This record gives sequence, C-alpha cells and structure tokens, in this order.
Amino acid sequence: MSARPGRAASARLVLGAALVALAVTTGMPRGALARDTCYECHRAEKEERLVAPTRNILKDIHFEKGLTCASCHGGDPADSEATAMDPDKGFKEHIEHKSIARLCASCHANAAYMKHFNPRPYIFSIEEFETSVHFKKASLGDTKVATCTSCHGVHGILPHTDPASPVYAQNVPRTCAHCHNAEYMKGRSLPTNQYDLYVTSVHGKALLEKGDLSAPACNDCHGNHGAAPPGLNDISMVCGSCHGREGELFIKSRMKAGMDSLGKRGCVTCHSNHGIQHPSDAMLAVGGKGVCGTCHQPGAACDRATVRIVSGFVGLRDSLALADSLLKLAEDRGMETGLGRDSWKEAQDQQVGVRAGLHSFDSAQITGVLDEGLGLARHAADQARAALRDWRTRRIGMGLSLLAILFVIALVTLKIRQIEARQGPP
Amino acid sequence: MIAALGRWLTDRLGLDTFRELAEHKRVPVHRHSFWYYWGGMTLFLFGVQVVTGILLLLYYRASADEAYESVRFIMAQVSFGWLIRSIHSWSANLMIGAAMIHMFSAFLLKSYRAPREMTWLSGMALLGLVFAFGFSGYLLPWNQLAFFATKVGTDIAGALPVVGHFILVFLRGGENITGGTLTRFFGFHVAVLPAIVTVILGLHLYLVQRHGMSVPPSVEEAQAKPGAPPPRMMKFVPNFALRDAVGWLAALGVLALLAALFPWELGRKADPYAPAPAGIRPEWYFAWMFQTLRMLPSKILGLEGELVGILGITVAGLGWAAVPFLDDPKGRGQRARLWTWIGVVAIVYIIVFTWLTYRDVKP
Repeated sequence: MSARPGRAASARLVLGAALVALAVTTGMPRGALARDTCYECHRAEKEERLVAPTRNILKDIHFEKGLTCASCHGGDPADSEATAMDPDKGFKEHIEHKSIARLCASCHANAAYMKHFNPRPYIFSIEEFETSVHFKKASLGDTKVATCTSCHGVHGILPHTDPASPVYAQNVPRTCAHCHNAEYMKGRSLPTNQYDLYVTSVHGKALLEKGDLSAPACNDCHGNHGAAPPGLNDISMVCGSCHGREGELFIKSRMKAGMDSLGKRGCVTCHSNHGIQHPSDAMLAVGGKGVCGTCHQPGAACDRATVRIVSGFVGLRDSLALADSLLKLAEDRGMETGLGRDSWKEAQDQQVGVRAGLHSFDSAQITGVLDEGLGLARHAADQARAALRDWRTRRIGMGLSLLAILFVIALVTLKIRQIEARQGPP
Repeated sequence: MIAALGRWLTDRLGLDTFRELAEHKRVPVHRHSFWYYWGGMTLFLFGVQVVTGILLLLYYRASADEAYESVRFIMAQVSFGWLIRSIHSWSANLMIGAAMIHMFSAFLLKSYRAPREMTWLSGMALLGLVFAFGFSGYLLPWNQLAFFATKVGTDIAGALPVVGHFILVFLRGGENITGGTLTRFFGFHVAVLPAIVTVILGLHLYLVQRHGMSVPPSVEEAQAKPGAPPPRMMKFVPNFALRDAVGWLAALGVLALLAALFPWELGRKADPYAPAPAGIRPEWYFAWMFQTLRMLPSKILGLEGELVGILGITVAGLGWAAVPFLDDPKGRGQRARLWTWIGVVAIVYIIVFTWLTYRDVKP
C-alpha cells in the first residue's frame, strides 16, 4: 500500500515526460502547449484578414520561444470569448507604425530579459534606431519608411541565421530593395539604382553568386537598425572596417586631407560605392580607364608617379610569373627548390602588400616595397636557375659515372675470363 | 717492405686462417646459381646504407623543429648532399627489394632445410629488421607524408589485442606522434637497429660460411643419379667474388641513375594539424599488408575486420618463418610441393596487392 503514492507520482512523471516528448517530436511549439484562444479562434476564421496572422505563426521564433499573440497585442489568451479582446485587458488590435519599434524594444532592448533565451543576446538599442533616417522620417509621420516589421516580417519572424529570413545575409539586398526601388520611392530624392548596381559589384557577386557570407550587404556599410548614408568622414572608416590596412593608410595619407578639403568622399571617389568593381592596375592612371584623371591633370606630378608605380607593378608581376615558371620547371625535374619558393612567397606577399600600400599615396614608400618585392622575385628566379643548372650538371655527372662504372665492369669481366681461362672449366 | 708488413700483420692477426678459408671456399654451380648473388647484393646495399647514413648524420638534426630544415639544407646547400640523401633513400628501397628476392629464392630453392634452419631464421629476423629500418627511417625527414604514414602504421600496430596499445605508446613515445616520436625513431634507426643487425648479420654470415651454399633438391636429385657427372664447383675467391663485384658495380650504376634522374623528394613539412594528404599509403614493401587490411570487411565473424587481418598476417608470418620445421626435411614429396605452391601463391598475392595499392596513384 505504501508504494501506491510513489507509483502514482511516477505515472504522472512518465505521462508528463511523454507529453513533452510528444510536443518536441511533433514540432508543436512550446507556446501552443498552453491554451491560446487567439491562435485557436483566428485559425478557424473565414475572413482572410483574420486568418492570415496564424499562417506562419508556428514557425515564428517568438512563438517557438513560448511567447503568444498576447505578448504583443495584449488581451487574455485564456478567455475563449470576444471579451478576450477587451481593451481593458490591454488588447490592441492594430499597433501603430510609429509604436512598433518601441514595442519590439520593450523586450529586445532589455538585456536581462533577453538573457533568458540566449546567454550572449543581441541587445537592440533604441538610441541607435533613433539615429536612422527611417526613424527620423517616421517620427515626422511618414508611414512608408521602414520599421522593425518591414525588414523582419511579422507573424512569422525567423531568426536572422535562417536562410528563409528576409534579414539573412544573402536576402538583405533584396529586402532593402523591396522599398529602395523607383516605384516605392517615387516622389523622393533618394537614388533607386543601388540594388541594380550592387548585384554587379564585387561585393554583390561574392555574397549572392559565390555565397560568401562574409561579403558585405547593405547593412554592413549603412548599419541596420541605425541605417543612414555614411557621412563624409565615415567612408574610409566604413570601408576600413573590412579593408583594415587600406583604411588605416588612407586615413593617415595626404590624399585624405586633400579630398576632405575638396568635399570628395574618400574611398568612393575612386572605387565608387554600390557598383564597386574589382580594382585593376588600369585604375592607376590619369588618362584612359584611370580614376586619377577625375581630379588630376595629365602631366602633373601624380601622373608621373602613377606611371612609375604601374610599371613597378607590371615588373613585379612579370618577375613573379617568371620565377614561378622556373621554380615549377625545377620542381618538375625533382629539384629541391624550398629556399627559392620561400623567396617567391615573400615576394608575392609584397605584391599584395604594395597594392594595400598604394593607399598611403606615398610614392617613396610604395617604390620601396616594390623594390623589395622585385629583389625577392629575382632571388627566387636565381635559385630556380641554379637548381636547373645543377640538374644539368647532375645528368652530366651521372653519364660520366655510368661510363666509369661500365668501364670497371668490363675490366672485371675480362679479368674473370682471364682467370677462368687459366683455371680451366669448373 | 710491404711483404714484411704483411708477414708482421699475419703473425699478429692470424690472417692465415682467413686466407685459408677464402682459398678453400667453393660455390656450387648449377642452373639456379644466379640466386646465390642476392645475399651479397643485399649486403652490399646495406654497406651503402651505412656509409651514406653516416654522411647524413653529419648534418641531420633529429628534432621536430629542425629535422625537415636540416634535410632541406642537405638537399640544397651541402655539396653532393642531394646525392647522398637520394642514394640513401633509393638504396634502402633496393636493399629491401634485394632482401625479399633473397628470401623468396631461398624459400623456393628450399635452402632452409637441415642443417640451415638457423640460417633461415636469422635471415627472417634480418628481413624484419630491414623493414624496421625502413619504417623508422621514413619518418626522419619529418615531412607530411611520412608523418601520416607513420600515424597509419602505428595505428595498425595499436589495433593488436592486449599488447597493441603498449606497442603504440612504445613506438610513439606517447599517445600521439610528436617530436618525441621522431627522436625515438632516430634512436632506433641509428643505434638500436644497427646494434641488433650487427649481431644477427654476423650470425647469419657465420652460418652461411659454416654450412656452405645450399643445393636445391632437384639439383641434388640429378647429381645423385648413377652416371651423373660430379657436382660443378666454383672458387669463392676470386671467381664468385669478382662476379659479385660486377653485380655490385651494376647496382652502383643503377643507384647513380636513380639518384640523378629521380632525386628523392622532400615534400612539405609535417603539420600535425593539417588534414592527412589524399591517397596516403605506406612504403611499397608494406603496401600489400595495407591493401589487405583496407579490403577486409569491417566485421568478420563478429570480430573487427582489421584485427582479423592483423592476426592473419601475423600467423602467416610466423608460419612462413617456421617453414624449415613444417616442410619435408628432404624437400621432396607432396608436402614439399605444397610448400612450393604456398610460396608461389604468396609471391603472386604480394605482387597483386601491391599493384592494387598503386593502381589509382596519379604521378
């Protein structure tokens, strides 16, 4: 008899565990475990406007984490009558555009609350959002500008790591273009060709075609919640956040001060912005496809400098190619070229370094790096040539050794015959 | 003056005994005599290994930080360093090849019959030591291929029941292959193995001298027939020794050719954190065992397939070594024919499985 209460407790425990297991295995959201009359009633509605919010709600990250409709809309989800939507119970049918960010911030800006879901949560900053053009326009009553739900969606919000989320890295450009297009932006002064330019850019191709998630989308340069055009002083810092060495050199360069005084916008002056292409040596010229000519005149000091630097680039590139082909030839012939290959790799590093170093706009510094790279490439080529000479010497040596060995073999064979002729048959 | 010095040395060193031995030593001449040269060939290549190994020791540094760089220095900076290292590596392979030919010819000619059981056993021990030389030497350049091949090789040893883990830790000097393993292998390669080889090689040569060259049963039978001509013999010195010299000179020529045309590669430095190179495989003389283990199913009669394979190879090796006691003492009859067939099957098996390992290798 005394065992019965224990058995009953065990049975309850097993039943409870089975229900949880059922919920987990059938994909039922935790929020659905509790009675939620909003979901139950709206799902059964006939009118599209009322049933729509339930369509994707089961996949919604909030719903998965146990939040319910009432978490945002208020009301009483335990009440199955229309009284559940009594404004006295805090129910809000429609959340105003300008109130959405503050409503989201009530949880997402609360670090203590967000830590319940993630030990290292992203904490939304309403102050940062207030710096955005979107917020500023919204506070003036513009309801066409983006707020949280414009980008993240509503009633089916997915985590940003989910490839189906509109804010997943590869989806961000299209999400921004959802508003930043000629039709939606009609009547506004903002350009609308950003998306078309971006998809052809080196960044766009890396992100959208190669699937390189480290490549920047719109938000990486403009910010996301504080989205705004980068200011005059920000450009080199924005680009420099990824292109660190280039950014650092440019900020310290005379060119930065010169551009600032003329109102030129740093990196984008030469590289453009949304349609940025892979840089080439041809950019470094006053004439032709060169970008220097947009500001500088032919024959100026910088024109002569670019000619010198470009010829240095070409020289280093050709020297590296020559050294590489010689090293490969020696390697194919089985020669040890480790030291030459080390020099070649160092020269290649210098080639990468000198392109970054170009952003110092310091002719002496660039030429110094170029000369160092050229020296290393020549050393690598010399090592390869020495290995190839050595290879030829070895063959000659081998031929002579074989001749000597064959000669001795012939002598020994003659000696054997001589001895055995003297001895007679064995 | 020279004659006086010779007499002085003969009196003190007893050189007469050796002279007499050389004078009287004879080698049988028959249609299988060619195979008698392979023992001497193995010995010659071992000599090349000793000389080139000592020369490499002048520059080689046995530590994980310096081994690769020191071999690269030998290959690129030391005068004729490339030649010495290439000859050492090629000669090692030719020596193992010559030792295997010597062993299989001794097996098929039934040279292990009484009273040469100990000669056979000492030869088998030497073959095992030669493999150990190859295995330990392979790691010494500390390159990527050697690192992972040693890992695979020691993993196989570690799969042995009961003693496997002990052997693995003993070989590696710990659970993993580290600089400690390199130092240990270097110690095996230049001290432990040469010491053991010196003793066993001495015993093997003494036994060859004591019992003379074995004559195959078929030749013995022909010679025993009534009216058969008396057995033909050749003086060891100078006739056989000069023929040996021709073979050794030819081997030297082959070594020069291989070293100049195909210098032994150094590859990339070992990086324990890098992924194993594609198509990793052991040296050719272990390839048939590796291929056997690779082709076995994962489970055989409820046991790990690899374990069954290792045990099978071990039992086959022990059976092979014990052949003098299992075969017919006279080398005739059905039992003798069975062992000859076992030998032929073993040779074909090794050739086919070695070929299977290298079949898909792109040069």
